[in-house]
Formats: sequence, structure tokens, C-alpha cells
Amino acid sequence: MRIVRQAVLLLRSELRQELRDFELLLSAGFFTLVLLAMFYLSFASLPVKHSLPAVPAMLWLTIAFVGVLTLTRAFDREREADTLRALLAAPIERLAIYLAKAALCLMVLMLCCLVLVPGLWLMFPAGSAFADQPGQTALLVLLGCGGYVAIGTLFAAGLATGAGKNTLLFIILYPLTTPILMYALATTRALLDHHPDLPSFLGQMAALDLILVALAALLFETVLVGAGPNLSRKPAREGRPVRR
Amino acid sequence: MSDAPVAALKAVAQRFGRQVVLRGVDLELPAGSIVGLVGANGAGKTTLFSILAGLLQPDAGERHLFGAPADEVDVAARARLAYVAHAPQLYAGLSARENLALFADLRRAAGLATRPTDEVLTELGLPAAAFDRPVATHSRGMAQRVALARALAGRPDLLLLDEPFTALDARGREQLAQVLLGERARGAAILLSSHDFDALLEICDRVVLLERGALERSAAHAGDRAAFRRSAAAIWHAPAGTRQAASGVSSAPDL
Repeated sequence: MRIVRQAVLLLRSELRQELRDFELLLSAGFFTLVLLAMFYLSFASLPVKHSLPAVPAMLWLTIAFVGVLTLTRAFDREREADTLRALLAAPIERLAIYLAKAALCLMVLMLCCLVLVPGLWLMFPAGSAFADQPGQTALLVLLGCGGYVAIGTLFAAGLATGAGKNTLLFIILYPLTTPILMYALATTRALLDHHPDLPSFLGQMAALDLILVALAALLFETVLVGAGPNLSRKPAREGRPVRR
Repeated sequence: MSDAPVAALKAVAQRFGRQVVLRGVDLELPAGSIVGLVGANGAGKTTLFSILAGLLQPDAGERHLFGAPADEVDVAARARLAYVAHAPQLYAGLSARENLALFADLRRAAGLATRPTDEVLTELGLPAAAFDRPVATHSRGMAQRVALARALAGRPDLLLLDEPFTALDARGREQLAQVLLGERARGAAILLSSHDFDALLEICDRVVLLERGALERSAAHAGDRAAFRRSAAAIWHAPAGTRQAASGVSSAPDL
């Protein structure tokens, strides 16, 4: 299990650096609090029947915004010092790099959700179902954030290695994460409604997460280094003979 | 030891969009040799290093590593090579020890041996007081020593050093030169680039000139360091396009 061991080592290093400067946690946490405050000021007076459909939107809108903020900064340390290339040239499974980064982003999002979910419950009576079903709520948030991070880390890494700009992440990420966010919205509504099919909704989200993680894991190396088939055994057509 | 070179490129070409960066490059790096790569800024040296290190897939041509074709540079191949880019590529928030320990632990997780962190840092001349300071507080020269130490910790068979003398003081250059000669004696193949031509000539067995993406003639050291210097200087100082006719230049067989 070399990949797992290396992913754990990389994650431990990421956490060590994060705990020294709190760069990701501070920006994501503060943004979460600002959004919560804005939602409260705007929607606190809504009657329960109107806030019921609004709570899932507030939850996943916040996660979408905080997620993209986290993902754009997740590779900042590598971008600043170009350390990603040092990792890529080392005998490290590239999948381990992906897993470590995705786990870091997921941890940051889950910590934000520790503020966000109780906040929505306290501010909006419709959110009381979060407290009634803490296990399902935790699973819902984990699956929703997991799918978002799975695909987001792939593109954040691609933009960190190339000349891509972080602004591109917003353009690429939102359309690609729409399916998982839509699923999460529907599942959250089912949870708030105490829908009997909630386990089925959660199961479908888990399946979607598995597909996204598998897809990202397959594409990660190609995104970082380039496709293997480019390397041809044929001499370069564009090349000119080297002088002898 | 096998006669096959540790690393070889055959007719390798690379372009980025419309810009052709490498054109049909042939290069061999035998075991126990130091090859100096010289060329002006933008000649394609870093692209060449990136292809050898597996950070870039060439558009065309063949890459051989450790005697076998390397369509992709897998973990087994990366375990035997080390690449130091012209930037140190260190985590600024981690200390020198932590940076090295991270990569050493990652190697160990892959079942690979690594030298003790302090030993290799000391060998490169990093003061002990700087071992536990964040790299962000290091001078550029100190960070360069840490980057070099990270590369040497795994006792690589292939060392790719893109401007390794950058920011090193005179003592640091001397220490690095001694370390590289030791690595060569151990059997490692070393490719290094530098704009410090004199420093290259002190330790290289051969220098090759990369110009506008193509390898020009090379000068090889054949026992007489003074003659080697004259040959290499003839390549370096000849006007572009006339280097083929430079007097005293010996052509390496792979070019």
C-alpha cells in the first residue's frame, strides 16, 4: 500500500504547514461566517415553509463558494515555490499527491461545515432536521463535499502545474460539479423532509462520488505530466539533423 | 556495469504551440561521467531536463533510461534519478530538515534507501544552525544547498542539475564540485547546465552546446584539461552557425 503510505506522509506535511499559518482554514472559515451572517440578515424572517427549500440552497451555495476558494489556494504552496515539480520528479505515486491534496481540501470543507450546519440549524427552524438526524447529516455533507473535492482537486492541480490561471477554475469547476451539487441539493431536501428514501439518495451520492474519484484518479497523471501516447518512437518530423 | 548509457535521448523534439523548443536532440549520458550543457537563455535546456526527469512527454523521439526505453518515467525510474531545477523547489514553511525528511520518508515508503538528512546537509555545507529554520528564512544559496542535498540523499544513478551553482558562494561551489566528482566516481551519470563556463570546465568530461533547440557539437575531455578548455571555448565563443568549423573541436560520437 505504497500509495496510501505516501498519501498519509504528504497529508501530514500539508497539515503541519497548515497548522503553522492557518492559510486555508482562516480564509475558508471566515468566508463561511460572512456568508452565514448574510444569509441570516436576508432570510431570517422567512416563514418555515419558505425557508425549507432555501436551507439546502444556502448550504450548498456556501460549500460551492468555500470549496472553490479552498481549491484555488490548495496548490498555492506548490505554485509559489514550484514544489509540485519536485514531487513529480521524485519516486512518489502521483495518485498519492492527488489523494493528499483532496483529503486536505475535504478536511477544510468539513471543518467549515462544522460551523455552517449548526449555524443553519440555529438560524432557520427548517434546519432543525440536521439536529434530528446528525448521522445522516454528517454523511450527506461528507458525500457532497467529497464529490466536489474529487473533481475540483484534479483541475486545481492542472492549473497549478501549467500556465493556467486560477480564474479558469471557476469557469471549469462549476459546470463540472453541477451534477454532484444537484444531487446534494435533492438529498438535503429529502433529509429536511424526513423522506423515507433518504438512504437511497445517499447511496446514489456515494456511487457518484466513487465514479468521480475513479475518473479523477485516472486522469490525474495525464493532467499533470501529459499523455503518454505523445511519445513516439519515430524521429521528429519537425527536427532537423544534428550536425556531425 | 552495462555499456548502455544511463540516459539517452534520440531525435527528441518538443514544441509548445507554434514554438519549436527542441529539434531532433540526440544525447547520451554514460555512467560515471559529467556532461555540461551550455546554451543561451531560451535555448531549451530546462525543457531537455524536464523530458529526462519525466516531467514532460516529448512530442517525438525516444527516451531511454537505465538501459531501457522509457515511454513513461515510472516510479522505479524516478527512484534512480534526481532533478534539481534552477529554483530550489522547497516548501518555504518547512525547515531544511523537514523538507529533506519529507522526501526521505516518501522514498522509504516506496521501499528505497536514503542517506541520513544531517549527513547530506553537512556535506553540502549548510550551517547546522540553519537545519531547523524555515527555508523561507534561508538565503538563496542556503536554499540551493538544501535542494542539492535532497537530490543527493537518494544516491541517484542519474543526476540532472539545472544551474546548480546558482547563488552558491565560492566555498559552496568548491564543495559542490567535490561532491559531484565523488558522485561521478561512484558511477553516477550527471548532466548539469550552468552559465558559469569555467566552473563547468573544471569538472565536466564533455560539454555540449544547445542552440535554438538543437545540440551543436560537443567537446570531450581526453586527458588534457587545457586542450579540453580550448576546444570548449572554441564552441562557446564561435559565432552562431559557425561552430561546426571551430578549430580543435572534437565531436562526441553520439552527436
